[in-house]
Amino acid sequence: MMPKALKSWEGGLLAIFLLTLAFNAANAPEFLTLQNQINLFQLSIEKIIVALAMTLIIVNAEVDLSVASIMGLSAAVFAYAVNQGVPGGLALLICLGVGTLAGLINAVLIARVGIPSLVVTLAMMIGFRGFARVLVKDTSLGNFPVWFTDLGQKGFMLGIPLSLWLFLGLLIVLGVLLHRTGFGRQVVVIGTNAEVARFSGLNVARVKTTLFVMSALTATVAGLFYAARLGSVRGDSALGFELDIITMVLMGGVSIFGGRGTMPGVVLSILIILNLRNGMALMNITGHIQTGVIGVLLIASVLVPNIVSDLRARAARV
Amino acid sequence: MKMKMISGLMLGAGALAGLMGSAVRAEPIQATPGQEVNAVLLPKFLGILPFDQANRGAQEAAAELGSTGKLQYIGPTPENSAAGQIEMLTTATTQKQHVVMLSNNAGDQIAPAAEAAAAAGTKVVTWDSPIPSGKGESFFVAQVDFGSIGVVMADMVYDLTGGAGEFAVLSASPDASNQNAWIEAMKTTLATHAKYKDLKLDDVVYGNDQSEESYNKALGLVDKYPNLKVIMAPTTVGIVAASKAMQDENLCDKVKVSGLGLPAEMVSYTLNGCAPEFALWSFVDLGYLTYYASYMLATGAIKGEVGEQIHAGRMGDYTIEADPGREGARRILMGPFTVYNKDNVEAAAK
Repeated sequence: MMPKALKSWEGGLLAIFLLTLAFNAANAPEFLTLQNQINLFQLSIEKIIVALAMTLIIVNAEVDLSVASIMGLSAAVFAYAVNQGVPGGLALLICLGVGTLAGLINAVLIARVGIPSLVVTLAMMIGFRGFARVLVKDTSLGNFPVWFTDLGQKGFMLGIPLSLWLFLGLLIVLGVLLHRTGFGRQVVVIGTNAEVARFSGLNVARVKTTLFVMSALTATVAGLFYAARLGSVRGDSALGFELDIITMVLMGGVSIFGGRGTMPGVVLSILIILNLRNGMALMNITGHIQTGVIGVLLIASVLVPNIVSDLRARAARV
Repeated sequence: MKMKMISGLMLGAGALAGLMGSAVRAEPIQATPGQEVNAVLLPKFLGILPFDQANRGAQEAAAELGSTGKLQYIGPTPENSAAGQIEMLTTATTQKQHVVMLSNNAGDQIAPAAEAAAAAGTKVVTWDSPIPSGKGESFFVAQVDFGSIGVVMADMVYDLTGGAGEFAVLSASPDASNQNAWIEAMKTTLATHAKYKDLKLDDVVYGNDQSEESYNKALGLVDKYPNLKVIMAPTTVGIVAASKAMQDENLCDKVKVSGLGLPAEMVSYTLNGCAPEFALWSFVDLGYLTYYASYMLATGAIKGEVGEQIHAGRMGDYTIEADPGREGARRILMGPFTVYNKDNVEAAAK
């Protein structure tokens, strides 16, 4: 029953995706150009990178609301360090250190102390953001090394930027990790029922620690790409991104209660959102309406499975 | 009904003198009507009056020039302003729009996208708020000379405090380069003229052009600085929010609000004494002039180089000049602007 429901969910996403593609191609002549296809990913690349790690977190029946603040923090730390005269390479290492530390703080409070991730990461969302604002103050910091901004703005291989390669690589690695390894099965089992998993002898704390450190590190790298792409950083850089990221994951059919969800589903959801936004932009539809359309889509994606399972339950009773 | 007009002041006069002194007296370049120009007017965000007025002016100019292309008015939502502007500029480049007219709210964050646009053949003309580094930008249509705004802001504070006292600035977002340039110009004015020596700038805070945030920031200033006499808000959103905050808390006798505002939105606060004096220029004219200059740039009538003189329909002749505030960048200076008070605000609000 469950795998079939999953298949139909992804089938639905695929149908919507193909419809979006067809609609865009028919209405916007520039849509299918290679440059537009690269731009479409590049404009949201930081969010979709973080969404991949978020998928594993939510399948594990947790949530990480602090990702956007960690992105902002890593960008702010980099900008601050570079403007204090720290060489760019060293600044990158400092950021990775800060990111790991941020992930460890989350992980210890959630996996060892046992506070719900919703609470911990909500608090850290505020805390990390505050720290970023203290570093950058009410201005913007730029003057990055050229090699750094080039990494964010120019093609790296075959005209495709490094961040997009990273997304593709991470997609394969995390997809295999979730669906083809023992660790991935543990993530799903714990997400289905953490108590049962614990009694079965799984090291729940270790799995959760790994996930939250991974999530923070992914957010750190994404934050650095954001800084490189825009060439300067503000205290509110990446503010509010966590909601877009979680939207992508939930629309991909990942259950907010954990235990259920696939990487292909999330990728399809990402493709739908990016293509919809891009198509609407090419058709000169303004920001307010774009946000509204995505909102309706999310509500539908949460409602439809519920209605379907409700109908099925009724049919079974009859 | 007395209109208090303040002209482009010293820098404007200096530019004029320079022009008259030059040996070549070229005729202003005329636009050739009826050409195809696809253009995008990209404001900081949608939903506030001055940008809609600029659009009205741009549409008027487009109709007058009879462009066979399209003029789109699109913008991001306020909370997504910087990222949204970058996305829309990138999309406009993909669409091969001839020209994008940008009121920049993303600071230099938008410079890479503007350079990419220029490289792909989509011209970027800024108005209202420029790209600080000037990168990727053909030229900036400046509403008034940024240095002279600093003088007017300082003078309004001077008037309202009676020449001595503490004040604070409520700005829009920290990356709005027009705001930053004006605040800097005001600080320079305060520091260089003995007349202002008894004025003390306590703080600069940012309400991000969101009404509620600006409202709270204004009240925060009053709490933090008990001797505060004036809130100077050089943003049309901030000045309304601050005025309402002072009115709601019955603080108008103690703290006056001033800055840049739209008469239609400010009339009640000016008449009840919460904001006795404020200034602004015509956003309709700014949109009109920006479209004229952009049309001529897109059709190749001008190249966007210093010294080129254009004839902009009903507004007359303008010259592209070096921007004194941004090294290596160019501007067209519109000017002048008007100071509003209880004598003239009602007429202007209609």
